[in-house]
Amino acid sequence: MAQRSLEVIVGLFMLAGLGALLFLALQVSGLSPKSAEQTYTLYADFNDTGGLAPRGKVSMAGVKIGSIESISLNKDTFQARVTMSINGDIDNIPADSAAVIRTSGLLGEQYIDISIGGDMDSLAAGDTFYATQSAMNIERLISNFASGK
Amino acid sequence: METSAYISLRNVVFSRSGRRIFDGVTLDVPRGKITAIMGPSGTGKTTLLRLIGGQLRPESGEIVVAGQNVPALRRKALYRLRETMGMLFQSGALFTDLSVYENVAFPLRVHTKLPEDMIRDIVLMKLEAVGLRGARELMPSELSGGMTRRVALARSIALDPELIMYDEPFAGQDPIAMGVLVKLIRDLNSSMGLTSVLVSHDVPESLSICHHACILADGKVIGQGTPEELRAHPSEQVQQFLGGKPDGPVPFHYPAGAVAGDFGVAGGGV
Amino acid sequence: MIDRIALFGRRGLNLVASLGRAGQFLFGVLAGVPRPATGFPLLVKQLYAVGVLSLAIVVVSGLFIGMVLGLQGYTILSDYGSESAVGQMIALTLVRELGPVVTALLFAGRAGSALTAEIGLMKATEQLSSMEMMGVDPLRRVIAPRLWAGFLAMPMLAMIFSVVGIWGGMLIGVEWLGVFEGSFWGNMQSSVEFVDDVLNGLIKSVVFGFVCAWIAVYQGYDCVPTSAGISSATTKTVVYSSLAVLGLDFVLTAVMFGDF
Repeated sequence: MAQRSLEVIVGLFMLAGLGALLFLALQVSGLSPKSAEQTYTLYADFNDTGGLAPRGKVSMAGVKIGSIESISLNKDTFQARVTMSINGDIDNIPADSAAVIRTSGLLGEQYIDISIGGDMDSLAAGDTFYATQSAMNIERLISNFASGK
Repeated sequence: METSAYISLRNVVFSRSGRRIFDGVTLDVPRGKITAIMGPSGTGKTTLLRLIGGQLRPESGEIVVAGQNVPALRRKALYRLRETMGMLFQSGALFTDLSVYENVAFPLRVHTKLPEDMIRDIVLMKLEAVGLRGARELMPSELSGGMTRRVALARSIALDPELIMYDEPFAGQDPIAMGVLVKLIRDLNSSMGLTSVLVSHDVPESLSICHHACILADGKVIGQGTPEELRAHPSEQVQQFLGGKPDGPVPFHYPAGAVAGDFGVAGGGV
Repeated sequence: MIDRIALFGRRGLNLVASLGRAGQFLFGVLAGVPRPATGFPLLVKQLYAVGVLSLAIVVVSGLFIGMVLGLQGYTILSDYGSESAVGQMIALTLVRELGPVVTALLFAGRAGSALTAEIGLMKATEQLSSMEMMGVDPLRRVIAPRLWAGFLAMPMLAMIFSVVGIWGGMLIGVEWLGVFEGSFWGNMQSSVEFVDDVLNGLIKSVVFGFVCAWIAVYQGYDCVPTSAGISSATTKTVVYSSLAVLGLDFVLTAVMFGDF
């Protein structure tokens, strides 16, 4: 086969491979081209993080706006401190918003939902949520219900 | 002698998988002549060529080619030296994925930066020299055994080497092909001033074209000289080889234990 | 008994020696600086042989594996009423595991064995030797382009495999079994992470491509130059490549996705 047509075919093959990678990036993993944008960090302290895990999502009104970086124990307050990175263009979260741990579906994974407050000021990088609501523990819920409290 | 020798081997010792193949071989290949190295099959004649080409290294001894000690050469110098050598392998060793033309052009393309039309001229000239200019578009699989060897010969002389080594050029050839090869080897040697080394066990053909011959047996040189000197050689071993006698100093039997041991007649061997 | 132990020891020594030779061989192949003028056409030719010619088997296998995943996933997930997660399941399985691993296994069988046989035959017919005698290093001229071609082609093939597989899964899930297309893609996009899943899968396929190509060219170069030697080298290529791929896959998965 002539060198020229060989080069064209191999070129097409490489393009197909790169196209496949692009497809995986955009269509399958939903990576948007501006996803490499800046993020900023917020903290929240919870009494119980339940099954929350790093890399879990942080959402607002059901839309993903960031992810959980790490979860550690604060030795002074015995609370869990969750570090979240929030997309840089969501820079107007009211300062009195609450971070709530929710479960997707009945048995799905847990994530942090931010319920919006009404304050005029916004949270800035490095701030901590004032109000939090810990994970709903089904076991505890049932025992509370059963004992009628 | 020392000054006119193109290749000289001094006390070369080489063994492979525990078997000693060369046990102190000393021989000279004179410049610009055809030297035949003969010996029974299995005496390591091909190994000798590989030692000269630097593909194998001896355990001890010197192999001097064109004034350079081959085993001591560094990689780069060795590759440069090899550009001045041509070798014709027993199977021809043509590149099966390239046409005859591209096979002959291969060393030119790799080692020179000649323009395409010049490469074409050289390739056609070399193919003409072996009488195969018309076969240039064929693939190696379409060639007969004799033609394969001639193409390989054209390829090994493409870079106009100083030395050319032939590994069993006559083995398995029909009489006509053999005659063609004998003529080619002789013509190339006289027209290009090549030093030729010919490894073979075909006594009449080799003696008919060589100027100088060595006979190897049991890891040693048992005789060397001009064809006339060899024919008159006093050694029984040399006469046995040249005359093709089945038994003599070169033993009929491959070295083995005592016969009695193998056949179990010596008793007691349970 | 002592003989058995000695045999075991000798096997061990042989293994170490052959690993050493393979490493030395790799160094010899990669040590030379490739010259673009001569190297590029050789690389293109090998990419064609190794990559383009493996495309058909990779695409067909990818399609079928994707379709099977779609069917199986739907059957299992619909028991929990969450059949819309079938897209997520197919994508994660393919991108993380099946894409790189199955492609590497197919690659070893299709391209690796061909490489070994080709190089082994070149050795048996003295082509490598004659190249050496012409002052051309066969490691650089013959082996290096083949190694690089395997290294480059494998990730491409793995990506194509994953995409075709996801498309096949979509055919079954969406077109045939009637999963809502929006939730098929939506679930997939919200659970597949580019860096954690796609890039890690890509890294796996790069590693597998390198290992498969290395084993294939080394087995060819190191084979006993007889017909029996070549056939056993070809078998070894497929067996060793498959074992290496599966073993390395475990190690890489543990490093990438394990929580430690």
